[in-house]
Formats: sequence, structure tokens, C-alpha cells
Amino acid sequence: MAEGMGVGAAVRRREDERLLKGRGRFTGDIALVGMKDIALVRSPLAHARIRAIRVPPEHQGAVFTWADLAKGGVKPIRAVSGLPGFKISDQPPLADGKVRFVGEPVAACVGRTRAEAEDIAALVEIDFEELPVNADTLESARAPKSKIHDHWSDNLFLEADTVVGDIETIAASAPIKVSRQIRMARQCMVPLEGKGVVAVWERQAEQLTVHTSTQMPHIVRQGLAECLGVDQGLIRVIAPDVGGGFGWKGLLQAEEVIAAWLARALDHPVRWTEDRREHLVAAANAREHRYDITAYADATGRLLGLDARVLVDAGAYSAYPFSACLEVGQVGSILPGPYDFAHYRCHAVSVCTNKPPIVPYRGVARTGVCFAIEQIMDAIAGAVGREPHEVRLLNLVPPEKMPFVNVTKKHFDSGDYPESMRRAVAAIDLAGIRKRQKKGEADGRRIGLGLAIYCEQAGHGTAVYHGWGIPMVPGHELAQARITPDGGIEIRVGLQSHGQSMETTLAQVAHQVLGVDISKIKVVHGDTGLTPFSTGTWGSRAAVMGGGAVAAACKVLVERATKIGAHLLQAKPGDAKFENGFVRAGLGHVPLAEIARVWYRAPQLLPSDVDPGGLDVTAGYKPKSDQGTFSYASHAVVVAVDTETGAVEILDYVVVEDAGVMLNPMVVEGQVLGGIAQGIGTALYEEVPFDAEGQPLASTFADYLVPGFPEIPPIRIVHMTTPSPLTEFGQKGIGEGGAIAPPAAICNAINDALKPLGATLTDTPMSPKRVFAAIAAAVPPVGGPTNGRRVTPLGVHSHDDSLAAGNKP
Amino acid sequence: MKNLALGVNGKKIAASVEPRTHLGDFLREQQLLTATHLGCEHGVCGACTVLLDGRPVRSCITLAVACEGGQVTTLEGLVNDPVMIELREAFAAEHGLQCGFCTPGMLVSARDLVLRKPAADDRAVRIEMSGNLCRCTGYGGIVRAIRRVLDARKKTKT
Amino acid sequence: MKPVDFDYERPATLDAALKLLGREDLNAKPLAGSQSLGPMLNLRLVQPELLVDITAIPELASIREEKGFLVLGACVTHAALEDGGTPDPTRGVLARVAAGIAYRAVRNRGTVGGSLAHADPAADWVSVLAALGADVVVARTGGRRTVPAKDFIRGTFETALGPGELVVEIRIPALSANARWGYAKICRKAGEFSHATGVVLIDPARKFARAVIGAVSGPPIVVDDAKIAERDPGEAWVSALFAGTPLGDDAYQIRIHHVALKRAIAEARAP
Repeated sequence: MAEGMGVGAAVRRREDERLLKGRGRFTGDIALVGMKDIALVRSPLAHARIRAIRVPPEHQGAVFTWADLAKGGVKPIRAVSGLPGFKISDQPPLADGKVRFVGEPVAACVGRTRAEAEDIAALVEIDFEELPVNADTLESARAPKSKIHDHWSDNLFLEADTVVGDIETIAASAPIKVSRQIRMARQCMVPLEGKGVVAVWERQAEQLTVHTSTQMPHIVRQGLAECLGVDQGLIRVIAPDVGGGFGWKGLLQAEEVIAAWLARALDHPVRWTEDRREHLVAAANAREHRYDITAYADATGRLLGLDARVLVDAGAYSAYPFSACLEVGQVGSILPGPYDFAHYRCHAVSVCTNKPPIVPYRGVARTGVCFAIEQIMDAIAGAVGREPHEVRLLNLVPPEKMPFVNVTKKHFDSGDYPESMRRAVAAIDLAGIRKRQKKGEADGRRIGLGLAIYCEQAGHGTAVYHGWGIPMVPGHELAQARITPDGGIEIRVGLQSHGQSMETTLAQVAHQVLGVDISKIKVVHGDTGLTPFSTGTWGSRAAVMGGGAVAAACKVLVERATKIGAHLLQAKPGDAKFENGFVRAGLGHVPLAEIARVWYRAPQLLPSDVDPGGLDVTAGYKPKSDQGTFSYASHAVVVAVDTETGAVEILDYVVVEDAGVMLNPMVVEGQVLGGIAQGIGTALYEEVPFDAEGQPLASTFADYLVPGFPEIPPIRIVHMTTPSPLTEFGQKGIGEGGAIAPPAAICNAINDALKPLGATLTDTPMSPKRVFAAIAAAVPPVGGPTNGRRVTPLGVHSHDDSLAAGNKP
Repeated sequence: MKNLALGVNGKKIAASVEPRTHLGDFLREQQLLTATHLGCEHGVCGACTVLLDGRPVRSCITLAVACEGGQVTTLEGLVNDPVMIELREAFAAEHGLQCGFCTPGMLVSARDLVLRKPAADDRAVRIEMSGNLCRCTGYGGIVRAIRRVLDARKKTKT
Repeated sequence: MKPVDFDYERPATLDAALKLLGREDLNAKPLAGSQSLGPMLNLRLVQPELLVDITAIPELASIREEKGFLVLGACVTHAALEDGGTPDPTRGVLARVAAGIAYRAVRNRGTVGGSLAHADPAADWVSVLAALGADVVVARTGGRRTVPAKDFIRGTFETALGPGELVVEIRIPALSANARWGYAKICRKAGEFSHATGVVLIDPARKFARAVIGAVSGPPIVVDDAKIAERDPGEAWVSALFAGTPLGDDAYQIRIHHVALKRAIAEARAP
């Protein structure tokens, strides 16, 4: 029975029945008596002082500004960091005298319908005094046009240096030096469901109930209590069905504070629903990184050292709870990737700009980091005249060195990175592709093969997070397991499942321990009123942390049930054992349902020394080391580039991934495929460009291209399974991984295709226009590999763009 | 406000609507039929796709008043539809959904495809379905699910 | 994203519709399939006081053949043309083009007349109807006139329609049996608006040879020259054509428009 439903089984999802019949319940589906809609007046300017806000007299009482919220005791959102030098930015949920990005909420308008609320919003007039705009990352860092936060000395949230070994000596002596300037564009996360909030003051319960489309209900509750200045006990946060998150729903949002305050102040339910234009404008908040990166290697391609200057465009505020330091802090520590080398220097800066505040998007800093280091690995291969996979194999941490502590003290727990690369190369048929390249394509396009490999720290624990001093440090993950009086199982977790299938996978975990049919196991999640505290679903942590916690709680249930069962079987506890939902001793056995009946309804039959906590357990879990698990994957892709138009088509895509032990392979594959599709979006399609005035130039899906069915190719997945030695079942976090490598792999493939032309791309998205520009700017190569001299990118940057200028080493 | 008479999931409905109310809002807010989701409100994402007189349409850019006299069918009205029963089974088997937000529109479009283009190959499936965006699955599971239904129907016919 | 408040009428006759559209005291706009207007309304980029729904007017929904012409009512949907089953003297042009417009759910409601009147230079019909030498018949209370499709779009979202005028039908000349055509558009995604469109039609029996470059910053560029339509004139020719226009300095735009034209020419030449 266990093998059919437990850990490792491709069990069908419990979620599907309701979702396939349209019976899910998303935030926007909640209708409450007397509910009114909120529409926000958002700033049309990227940087301006507010001189006055004028509300038509007939709408006084329906329009609220920061003055109203402040009078009501609301405090700004403040996500601090304990890192030295971090500058604090207060983010008032409605602008306080100044706006700092286009789309920032300025006033909240309440109407009977959203249409009516928008009518009112259209009548609110704001008198602005325009300020110089810092739209460009480099410029805001180096030559700011104005101060975004008046009390700061510059526009930098944080500068962080990581220095290991002696890069200067390596630089002076290494035979190979390659450099790249690399840029990852700003984009949106685009869950199909926008954010949404329905807030109501429940008079009878004296409780503010906030239904919100969030990945982290307990953290939203914490943040709301801080901003509203009330006890957490006054607030219940419920995340119903949530239509995708990818990070965008992993924050305390200004709109949540606004709606929560209004519900109580107005004493009627209110709703705010993020529409797509609001999302594309005010949530253009992910990914924007710039790298100036140099690698040193020996003549065989062995990596000797890495030197990088990195700018992360963090936007105008420090978003709660991850702050404006998380991404930049990660960059410094994970840029070395899965490689083994000794000398490393990284200067990483979190730059404040007049754009929406950065929020960690699936893959977080890893997508940018992988994009940078995997381009550099290809550059080394080019410089030494070897195949890109050969150079990688030379530098990857080998399995015999596992567990391995890398140059930035990351603890790689397990795996065979080189084998994953070898399998990817075999599966994509590198030899066949090289032959085909020599022959040429009948249609005149050029084909190219690209590789990328990464390892992904996931399920980060306390040790990783406490150093950042941000408002959220994960500790023990809690789960509650309860046997109902009829022998069913209820699992309660403070995580939130928004597509990750936890109602299924966590039931599989409970089944694995308890043996109860999963149809009788109910997983409750996403409600602070019903579940133990959790920091929520982020950082690819749910399978490791939630899976571990559910197993821990179920194991306590087994202990307690076994003791009661032994007593009922008149056996000594030591002579009884728990198996597939039964306690057995000698020839006798008693089912869980009977044990439950006795505990709840016939306590006179219990042993006198029974644990009074009974069949209701809350247990906590931390992996053996909380340095996180390291899943990893090699991506291999073949593209065809139309050199006339710059169009890129993906012809084949292979991923070889190692998620450790998979709780549910079907779900793991779904996560991998979905992540890759998003990564392809990052690579080829998605960008919110900003003009010099900080105006976003892609505010509808006509301009912001989300890949659809034809743009995502069939993807082949090859599994490797190296159990993590740190976790309950050997599982590793996998939720984000798919989104990490596609930009790097696709970029390398395009560059491979264009190599004979001497064109190199370094920026996302690799749109036809960028490919065209790179080809137009190309200088065809002369002769062989370039040993011992700087290989400059031939892409679209000019050299005065270099991050080196005016930047500290 | 305008008076509006139309059929919704086989029932005659008489309602009073603001002319500016689009069909998606009318279904969700006034009829409490919340299977129909709004993902972009400018006709690109496909989450709001419903049937109007048997053909898929974007409910977010179709005015409710313009459906006077028409027959609207939402996913709720297709629970017992034979093709939909096959599609639901296939979507569950092939992991054709994760968060489920795009799913109602996806199913309505897929049903139309199965009936209108029974011979579609995978490439044709991808082109025909290109008006429905999914951000979770990477589309692979959905293509496999539709393939499964197309193949099964071919078999039963031959 | 909800529209401003407006009034709505759904007249059953063309005269009634034209009367409403001719009102000078309010901003009235015609509404057909709402597939272009709908997004503009939701984004409040268009803020009418009255929408006149013209889809209940039978004559605007008809397709008929008439003395060497196919006459499409303004409210004929893209899907109707995609699915065929109606006479097609254009030798497959209409079905082919219709099938590539946006997505099926949009094609089910979107109309040929609406697409023209919306006047997005990237819209397929704008270029294709110009290439086919079609005429647009527009009506207002008390009169009708005919505007060649190639002159109908005046600029981005600008048309030849005067106050109170409505597109009522599109008259497409039948192609001769040996006419050849080609059509190519360059998009980044399926269903997306075109970034560059090329259309050619060579109909020697009618002494008609036309090349059209569409999805430019204004009206499509129409060239009546058999030499161009028959043989790729080269990128320099397109570059010269674009000189002085907003796209004139954009090498990428010149490139993709040339490629679209070249592909259309190649298709027309193919046996």
C-alpha cells in the first residue's frame, strides 16, 4: 500500500478535482455582504513631491490618503537589514509627500464597484513638483540626478564585498583572462492571478480577517500588525486558493495594509484586486542585475579566480520582509556556482532607483548569477579552444569531494555535478549537433548548442538568514498532525500552496509515516487562524521543511498511538509496532480508527500513563544542517537563429536534474517544466524597459510578452537521484531551479550559433532586435583562440558602461 | 442600467446591468459564477474564456449587454459535458494544471479545439491554444492532456 | 481596468445606427465585436458616451458575391472567413490571413470592419485589403461613399472616416485564375500583432501587380509595380522607401520589413 501513495509515488493531485470544475476559491471569488471595492490613484511620475491632493467635494469620505492612514496610526512598511552600512527606507503604503516610482499608490478610493472606484480615482487631482529621475541603475549609483531618500548620502542601499584568497596575484599571473559585461533586464513575475485582498473587521470575533493572495500568511500577519500598530492576535490572514506567486506574493504589500486599515476604519468589508496594468507597471520588480565579471584560468581552462562587480537594481524601497539586501547578499555568496576554485572577489551594490522595489522572483539572484558565470565559462572555453562542457567538467566540484565547502563557505551536501553535465551533453547529442553545424541548415539559419549548470541552495535555514538581520529569519518549521475521532488525519501547516501541490505531497508524507490512505488525509494550509507559524512558501523550502515537519509530527502520533494500541492489545509498548495504520502485537492488531475512538470517546480504556496530549501533535523540524540542500541541474539547448531577422527558435531542450528523493515525481517534473518556461521568458521575451523619466514602457500584454504554447518547446527531463544526507527523506528543494539556467543556456546557444560571425550577446531578453544588433556590430573572428589577452564582448554595451569606472574594487 | 435577457448555463436570466460591465464581471459579480477568471482584462491571457452561442469568446472584452438573447456557457455549465469529462481526467493524469487559475479558460479552449480540430498534431495544438497563457506548467502537461483526449477520441471513432 | 460609464444602443437597422452615430451632442462610437475596442475601453484609452452596437443589423453580417467582387459586411468575423464555407474569389487569401489573426476566441467576435476602423497599422486586414485592391464602403445618414482600402488608414488609429460615418462593407475584387499572392508577417509570438508585414498580389489577367509593406508607423506602403512584386528589390530599396519616415533610421525595422516583403514575394513566385 505504501509504495502506491507514499514518498516517491506519482500520486494524482488532490487539488485537481475542485480546480478542474472551476470550484476553486481565489481571493477575487470571495463576496461579502456590504463589500466595497478599492481603486488606487497611482503616481504617474517616477520622482516628485506631492504639493497637494485634491478630492472633489462629492467624494470626500470615499478617498483616503497617507494623512488619513497616519492619523489612524498606520506606520510605514520598514524592512531593515542588520548588514553594516544598510540604509533604511520607509515605505508608506500611500505616498507621504513624495512619490518614488511610477505606479506608487497615492490615494485609495472606495466605491460600490471597482468601476465606480475607478471613476472616483479619475477625479482625484494631484499637484506634483517633478524631481530629477534616477531611472538607470549605473547612473543612480555613480552620478545620481537626485536623492531618492532625502536623508541618505547617496542612492545605495548597501555595498557588500566578498574577498577570498588573492585575486590580484592570480590576475597578474594567469595565462587566460576573459571578461564580460552582462545585463539581466527588469521584468515582472506575472502570476496569472494578480494580487488581491478582501479585508473585513469581524465584529463578533473582534478580529480583522484579511483574505489575501499571498505565499506567506503568517509573515503578512506579522507585517500588518507592525504597520497597523495592533496585536497580532487581532489579525487573521487567510490565503485561499492562490493563482501562482513566484515571489510576487511573498511580501507584505502596501495594498494589504491599505485594505486592512480601511476595513476596520470604515467598518465594512473592502476588496482590492490587482489588475494586469497595475501589475505590469507597479510590480515591474524582478531580476535587474548588471555584471562586470572577469575570470582567470590556466591554459587548460582550469578556473583560478573570479573577480566581479555587480549592481542589483533594487528600486525605490526595501520590500518587506526580504529587504533590499537579500538579492545583493546572495549574489556575492553564490556567484561561484558549482565550481571549485580558490580566489574570489565580488563587490556587489544594491542600488536605489525610481522603479518598483525589487522582490525575489523564482530563482532569485541565482538566475542572474548563473547567466553571468555560465557566460564566463563559455568565454574561457573559447579562449582555450575547448568544448564548453570540457571546461566545465574540469572545474565542477567532483562527487568524491562531497560534501564540499566552496570558496564562499557554502556547504554543498551531495550530488554528482560532472555526471549531470555528461548526461546532458549525451542527451542533447553534442557530436551530432557539431556535425550538423558543419553541414549547415537548409533554411539558412544557424544552429547553436548551449549549456548551463547550477547548484541551488534551497530550504535555507537560520544559519543562512540570521546574518542579514531582515524581518524574517526562518527557524524550526512547524506542522500539526491530528487524528480525528473517526480515524482520519488532519495535517496543518503554515506554508501556503499555490500550485506546488502540497495538499498532495504533504499528504503523501503523512501517508508514508502513518499508512493511512491519502483520501483520508486532509492538508490544511494558508490560514493563520488554523495553522502553526511558518515563514511561508519561498526559497524552495516547502518539500524539505514542510515535508520534514509533517513527518516529525506524524512520528509523534505513531509513538502515542502505538502506546495506546499496545495497551488495548494487552501487550507491552515495546512489543507493539506500528505498521500501515495498525498497531500490531503478537497476533493481534488494532487500527488507528479504533485507537482514535478510544482516545476521544472511551478514555476509560486508555492506559493510566497515557500522554495527555493525545492524538494531536505539533512538532518542529530543522534539517541536520540548516545550510540548505543543494539541488542542481544541467540544461542543454539547441537553438536556430535566423540571422536575417534575429529570431531565435528553440529546437531541443534537455534538463538533467537532481532533486534528491522526489516526494512526487509528477510534481517535481511540473515544477521543473514551469520554471524552465519562465526562464525562457526571461531569456527571450520578458522585459519592462523604462525611459529616462522612469516611465515603464510595457504596461499591457501587447508589449510585455509572456511566452505561450508555441514559444515553449517540448522539454526532455532526465532525473538523477542523490539523496540529501541532511533531510528527512533525502529530498531537496526544487521549486525554483527550472527558472535559473534557461537564460544562460539559451544565451550560450545563441552565441555558439553566431560564433562564426563573431557576434556575442550578453543581455536579456535576447530579442530579435538585440540579436540583430549583435550581428550588425560583430567583427568576424580572425585566427584561433585568444590566449593571454583580454577577450572583449562584441555585444551591445559600449565600454563607458563598465561598472569598473568610479566603482570601488 | 440596461435590462438584459440571456441564457447562462442553460438557464434564462433577466438582469439589469451597467452597459460598461463586461461579461466576465457580469458572470462573476452578479451571477456568482466564479469559475471564469480575469487574468488581464485586455483579451490576451485567455483565463476568462467562455462560450457564447457555443463558441469561445473573451468575456473580459465582451460587454454583457452585447450578449442579449445569447447563450453563455461557463465551466460550471460544462461539468457534465462529455468532452469536458475526458479533458478533466486527462488534465489530472498529465499534470496539466498547478495553481488552477488559467485552467477554466484553458479547458473551454481545449474543448473547442478537440471538437473543431480533431486531427490536430502537437504543433497545431500549440498554435490553436496560443490564446491561453499559463504561468505554472510550461504547457507540456496541457499539450499531453489534449493529445490524450484527441487520441482516445480517434480510437473510439475507428 | 474598467471602462468609464457610457450608454449603449443596439439598433436593428442601419438607418437607426447612423442616426445615433450622427448625433453631434455626444461622443458616440460604433461597437462590433469589441475585440479592439474592448481593451481600449477597459484601459480607459477610449471614453465614449454612447456605444452603438451594430451587430444586430443583418446587412452588416452578410457575405455575398457581386459582379466580380466579394462583398463582406463590416461585421463579418475573422472566424467566419477562417472557417470558409463561403464563396472565396480571393483564392485562399482571406482564410489564410484570418486564421493568423490573434486567437480563436478573438477571431470568433472580431470583425473585418472593426479591425479597419480601429486602424492599427499592424493589423492584418489593413495591409491585406490594401494589397487586394479592396474598397471600403462607408455610410452616414444620407449618403455613402467608397474609399480605397489603401487610403482608408491615415495614421495610427486614424482613418478616412468623417463624423457620423460607419464602415458598412468591404468590396474585394475577385482574383483571376492565374493570380498569385504571397503574405508574410513577422511576429515574436503566435497571435501577436505584426511587427512587419509583406503582401504581394500579381494578377496579370487584370494587369494588377501590387506590393504592400505593412505594420509601419502609418498607412501601409503600397507599390504598384510588377518589377517589385515579382522580384526582391533588396534591402536598400526598402531603406530608401523608409527614408524620412519614423522608421527611416532604424536598421532593424528596415531589415524585418524587407524580409517580410521578400518572403511574400517568394511565396507568390513559388509554384
